[in-house]
Amino acid sequence: MRVRGFGDLEAEVMHRVWGHDGPVTVREIFEEMRKQRTIAYTTVMSTMDNLHRKGWLNRDKDGKAYRYTAVASREEYSARLMREAMAEAEDTEAVLSHFVAQMDGEQSQVLGEVLRKLREGLTEGDRP
Amino acid sequence: MRPALPLFSYALAVAWCLPPSLARLTSRGVSAPLGLAAWLCAMGSVLAAAGLGIQFLFRTIGADWPSLSRALCRSVAGNACTPVVYRSALYELGVAVVALAVTAAAALALWRYGRRVQGAGRRSREHAQVARIAGRALAGTGALVLDDPRPAAYCVPGRALARTGPIVVTSGALAVLDAPQLAAVLAHERAHLAGRHHAIVTATRGLTAAFPAVPLFTRGAAEVARLTEMSADDAAARRAGRGPLAAALLAIATGTAVPTTTLCPPDTSGPPHTPLGGPHVSGVPRGLAAAGYAVPARVERMLRPPARPLLRAVVGLALATVLAGLILLPAVLAAVTG
Repeated sequence: MRVRGFGDLEAEVMHRVWGHDGPVTVREIFEEMRKQRTIAYTTVMSTMDNLHRKGWLNRDKDGKAYRYTAVASREEYSARLMREAMAEAEDTEAVLSHFVAQMDGEQSQVLGEVLRKLREGLTEGDRP
Repeated sequence: MRPALPLFSYALAVAWCLPPSLARLTSRGVSAPLGLAAWLCAMGSVLAAAGLGIQFLFRTIGADWPSLSRALCRSVAGNACTPVVYRSALYELGVAVVALAVTAAAALALWRYGRRVQGAGRRSREHAQVARIAGRALAGTGALVLDDPRPAAYCVPGRALARTGPIVVTSGALAVLDAPQLAAVLAHERAHLAGRHHAIVTATRGLTAAFPAVPLFTRGAAEVARLTEMSADDAAARRAGRGPLAAALLAIATGTAVPTTTLCPPDTSGPPHTPLGGPHVSGVPRGLAAAGYAVPARVERMLRPPARPLLRAVVGLALATVLAGLILLPAVLAAVTG
């Protein structure tokens, strides 16, 4: 297994924040992560600080600690990525290499029809 | 003095006359990597020849500037043209304006190219960053899963020349793929990353943006994109089998599960080497090809028996000859006319 880079740490922290319903403190995330691996409190703190700086986390001062919340849910980020990936702008194609080029509804339907016939033909063919 | 005409003629001939015949050689994707090399080499060759020609042009103009300047002036103003006139600031200004216009055209082409390439890189990095955090890791593959019912799979290249970048698969795609088909999808995307296809495609698209009227670049960009798909398909087929790849293409394109046995007889585990027999299967390629667009063409290519060795050899030899010509001709022209 390759060494987890800083980006992976950010991902892990975000996943844990998303796992909570309400705001969380660095301490809470740190306690969760410590159960699974050795990690320093300051590492978690600076990761969350970075995520705040990059616009992933909001934070409010609560006493002497910050309470963090995710700016948007994971579903919202996924939806945004998919919008970008599915966008038919010419640019997107150059950026992302799709396994299959996006087809319009009609093309997809024609293809589905051919497949359906094929499957029926196959089941008949198997039982002569 | 070195004449620029032979180099310009060569560049124009290759840029306008080569694309149709080269496309005929490469369209079926026999020896896709060699075909890819031929298109890229043609583009490089034309750019080099044109660049060298322009350099010769400017050198000659520069060397003969005083007499050229007088001749130009005389041709316009006749005997009224005295040294006072053609050495005047106004005359020089006119020449400067022409030179500026030429430079501006070149700068515009360069700017269009740069904007296209840079924009692609920036969007790609942002997309990769968000995907790394919002996606879930797909155990044992290094791929990321995004929760979305629409089936899709793609890779997000990192820096322009890097071979790394996440592969993203939607949960909708996982729902319609079996294990060998998923392996085919991932192998296809890994081949894109390993072959730096994103950099190649971005560069050729940039050239199309810079020179939108030159067939070699417009048609070439489309052919290069197709050839990168074909070579990634070939790599995936070698790894995961032609049947699973074809089935995966159809599954993601239509959003329904397509058992590989629908396309290939279940008794042949490996890639089919003979035309698929039986009334039920021989209909596939024809039915799909009739629709005439990218996915059916790729599926058909996977289900068709691979090209015969003799055809491969002939196409390979032809492409190698074209390649050699594209490299040697401009060099010879530049040396001989010197």
